[in-house]
Amino acid sequence: MGAVTRRAPMSSQPLTARRHRPDYLLLILSALLLAIGLIVVYAISPALVVEKQVSSNFFITRQLIAIGLGVIIFAITARIPLDIWSKLAVPLLGVASLATLLALALPVNDQYPAHRWIRVGGLSFQSVELLKFAILIALAGFLSLRAKLGTITDLKATLKPLLIGTLIIGGVVAWKQSDFGSMMVMMSMAGVMVFVAGMPMKRIAMVVGILMLLGTLVISAVPYRRARIEAFLHQGSTSNCATLQTGYQACQALIAVGSGGLIGLGLGKGVQAFGYLPEAENDSIFAIYAEKFGFIGVSILLALFAAFLSRIKRVMELAPDDFTRLVATGVFAWLATQALINIGAMVGVLPLKGITLPFISYGGTSVLFVMAAVGLVFQISRYTLYNVPRQTEQTGGRNVYEDRYDGRRVRGAYHPNPGSRS
Amino acid sequence: MDSMQARPQQAIRRARWVFTLVTVVIGIFWVRAFYLQVIHYDYYRKAALSDQLKEYEIPASRGLIEAHSGGTVVPIVLNQKLYTLFADPTLVKKPDQVAETLAATLGGKIEDYRRRLGTSHTRYVVLAQKLSAGTKDTILRHKYAGIGAQEMTYRTYPDGSLASQVLGFVNNDGIGVYGLEQALNKDLSGTPGELKAVTDINGVPLAANTGNVQIAPKPGDSVVLTIDMAMQRQLESVLQAGLKNDKSDSGSALILDPNTGAIKAMANWPTFDPSNFTDVSDPSVFSNAAVTSPLEVGSIMKPLTTAAALDQGVIKADQTYNDPAHWEVDGFNITNIEEDGGPGVKSIADLLNLSLNTGATWELMQMSQPGGTMINKKGRDAWHDYMANHFRFGQPTGIEQGYEASGTIPDPDNGYARNLTYANTAFGQGMTATPLQMAAAFASIINGGTYYQPHLVDQLTDASGKTTVMQPKVLKSDVVSSQVSQEMQGLLEYVVNHHYLTPPFNQSLYMVGGKTGTAQIAKPGGGYLENDFNGTYLGFVGGDKPDYVIMVRVNDPKNGGYAGTGAAQPIFASLGHTLIDNFGVPPKGQ
Repeated sequence: MGAVTRRAPMSSQPLTARRHRPDYLLLILSALLLAIGLIVVYAISPALVVEKQVSSNFFITRQLIAIGLGVIIFAITARIPLDIWSKLAVPLLGVASLATLLALALPVNDQYPAHRWIRVGGLSFQSVELLKFAILIALAGFLSLRAKLGTITDLKATLKPLLIGTLIIGGVVAWKQSDFGSMMVMMSMAGVMVFVAGMPMKRIAMVVGILMLLGTLVISAVPYRRARIEAFLHQGSTSNCATLQTGYQACQALIAVGSGGLIGLGLGKGVQAFGYLPEAENDSIFAIYAEKFGFIGVSILLALFAAFLSRIKRVMELAPDDFTRLVATGVFAWLATQALINIGAMVGVLPLKGITLPFISYGGTSVLFVMAAVGLVFQISRYTLYNVPRQTEQTGGRNVYEDRYDGRRVRGAYHPNPGSRS
Repeated sequence: MDSMQARPQQAIRRARWVFTLVTVVIGIFWVRAFYLQVIHYDYYRKAALSDQLKEYEIPASRGLIEAHSGGTVVPIVLNQKLYTLFADPTLVKKPDQVAETLAATLGGKIEDYRRRLGTSHTRYVVLAQKLSAGTKDTILRHKYAGIGAQEMTYRTYPDGSLASQVLGFVNNDGIGVYGLEQALNKDLSGTPGELKAVTDINGVPLAANTGNVQIAPKPGDSVVLTIDMAMQRQLESVLQAGLKNDKSDSGSALILDPNTGAIKAMANWPTFDPSNFTDVSDPSVFSNAAVTSPLEVGSIMKPLTTAAALDQGVIKADQTYNDPAHWEVDGFNITNIEEDGGPGVKSIADLLNLSLNTGATWELMQMSQPGGTMINKKGRDAWHDYMANHFRFGQPTGIEQGYEASGTIPDPDNGYARNLTYANTAFGQGMTATPLQMAAAFASIINGGTYYQPHLVDQLTDASGKTTVMQPKVLKSDVVSSQVSQEMQGLLEYVVNHHYLTPPFNQSLYMVGGKTGTAQIAKPGGGYLENDFNGTYLGFVGGDKPDYVIMVRVNDPKNGGYAGTGAAQPIFASLGHTLIDNFGVPPKGQ
């Protein structure tokens, strides 16, 4: 509490939302994660060439193009002001719905066995990624409005539309597209946003209970999902994965991670990508990374993800208003859920779900919308508050403003009077 | 201000909770990664290698087999690279499309291929075998996932079934079985190389991994046989035609160079096609019966008994003796089965020409006690010594053939009615020998008295190109004296001269000698079959010296007459003429 006392004089600083230097650390961490993904995709290209019979630079070229487009999208989402984004919520939802319907209408083939992709020429677009982005914006708008109106706790005004939306999206994504992983990501995103928006804990507990029940029903109704869960619960010996019918990928993933050891086999030395571990460039890329770079590499990657998420968390804390806070919260939940579900499956802690590891996995649509989302957070980071409003016992419930971040103070040294700019 | 700030307070608190939860989960994953990668590293490393590290044997190319043809050597067994098409059902993505392509390219039923492509619990299913490189490429060009081809080497036989039982074949495990392939498997197969490598899932070694071990294979030796291709062809067609004429369903014949032990031709009927050995229903046709199947040889033994008695000095080639046409030995009667003209004074030439069992028995009596009419231990021991040590019966000759049989000779000092048994062996019953053993022993009594090991390999060439020419190997140099050998030539020429061989040989120009045999066939339970006999013939042709020994065996002919004279002798005659007419036997005086 001594710190509070010491910093008491600064508490007179007003709560404002002025444009300032954005959080470049967020940018740097994103770039580092993308670079790691690019390196791994590049390193396993020889293996993919053999397995998928494509030219040797097929994957790396496409990933580079995706990242190039991602940079453009990033620039767009980072520049279009957030109040415009909030107004774009409905059109975005409309476009996303159309894209989803289009994906459902298009015929499937061996390479794309589910109604998840819109294919034009040699390019394919996963509609659910756009849907995630649209829901993020729409939900942030909806919840911030409900918060402003004070009806966030209202069953009819808030909870009912949310549940109806969940059912519709669940019917389309989880059932029609059988993309249970993406459904979980969206639900987690929505749940965390609702939680941060101030939904009472009781309500949340009730909704979570109902959803868990529904989820269990859905899982037990679909044979391959049940098999995945069973394979997860009955993990036996991993000494011979080839004999396993359903747990094969999880088994090979564990072998890839475990055989990486402390320092890894080295960038060009991994073996599991050569046909042993399915989806090496995509869902299983974390295990491939772990095989190549070992525990040290895993520690670095986990630390990068944690640091990246902590930057978003800081934006959540210092966001100038409800809408921006909820956008940042949604992006946080989206990326964190995907990363955790993906990595959790690779280290054998969670059952396998077919979703990508943000930044790292090969896949254009994923990269594009992850960067779009980060662009939004980056924009918000220009308008974050300098201080976190804080109630303490000593102030008797009054708000005090504490300069929490050393980094902010140091940065502040370059702009001793930011208010005089612009 | 307060109400405006209440929300952010709660929101921020909740945001921190969410972040804390995420951080804790990341921490759990980090601990889990430590557990997997550091604590259990050895376990997973082992599991990985058990999948990834594969040890292969790189097969060595098998040595070729060649044979003489005129003045050159030509291949009789070659290698051919063909492909086995296989699938890894776990990787096959379009089973219907693949099955359609396979059926269209290779023939066969689509459903059949689809079923095999859908086999569960395996990662290797053979789809087709022995595909040419072109056919294989046609299929692999589609680049179907999970479909691969493996190179396999197969033996190929430019002359079809020629000498197939002499050659043997290579089974599906790459091991030589029967014949030469079995006997020389080690030399022919070479030393396989070794490849120990971390591979991709299809078993293709990964170049990036160090520590891969590769040892190049050492190809097997190539062999040139003593076989003369043209002679072999003649022998096979003469044997087949002769057996047909004799109403016999099986038999053997061989031609041996008595002056080196080299086998010039050797065949049996029935035979088989080595490139389709899997189609054979009766595996007994794989055996080279001339080497693997001993028989009671019958009267072709008499020249050997005579030579032994002459060599011991207990009889003279030009003497006569009194033949009673009947002996009683151990309480049993020994008689003659051919028309012997009854009791009377006979010459040694008569003994052979008339094929007198009583004469051969008399020779054994002379070995027992010169001038006597009893068989005793001395005679049995002396005759056993000749059979076992001079003529080398009861042991394999060591020819380069699989499953060579030893034959049997009775113990001179043990067993029931051993004098009778020994009397029987003097005319080729009660003992067994293979046609090859008979031919080799016979060669030694007409070539001056040297037992050459019968052999099929003329030259061996190893992987480095070094050729070893096999020299004739003398196993015994004084089987009989050269004088006895000369006497035997004369006696056997006499036999041919007094038999009606068709067409007749011009014996003023060519040295042709031989002896028929009509052998009783032992019944499995003891005793002999009443009406079934094997016909045999053992003879030679040459000019000033014997050039070829010919052995013929006809199993149970049904064309009437004595089996030796009626069934085996015509085949000998035909072969003898073929050799003289087509294979440059020099006439006498040249």
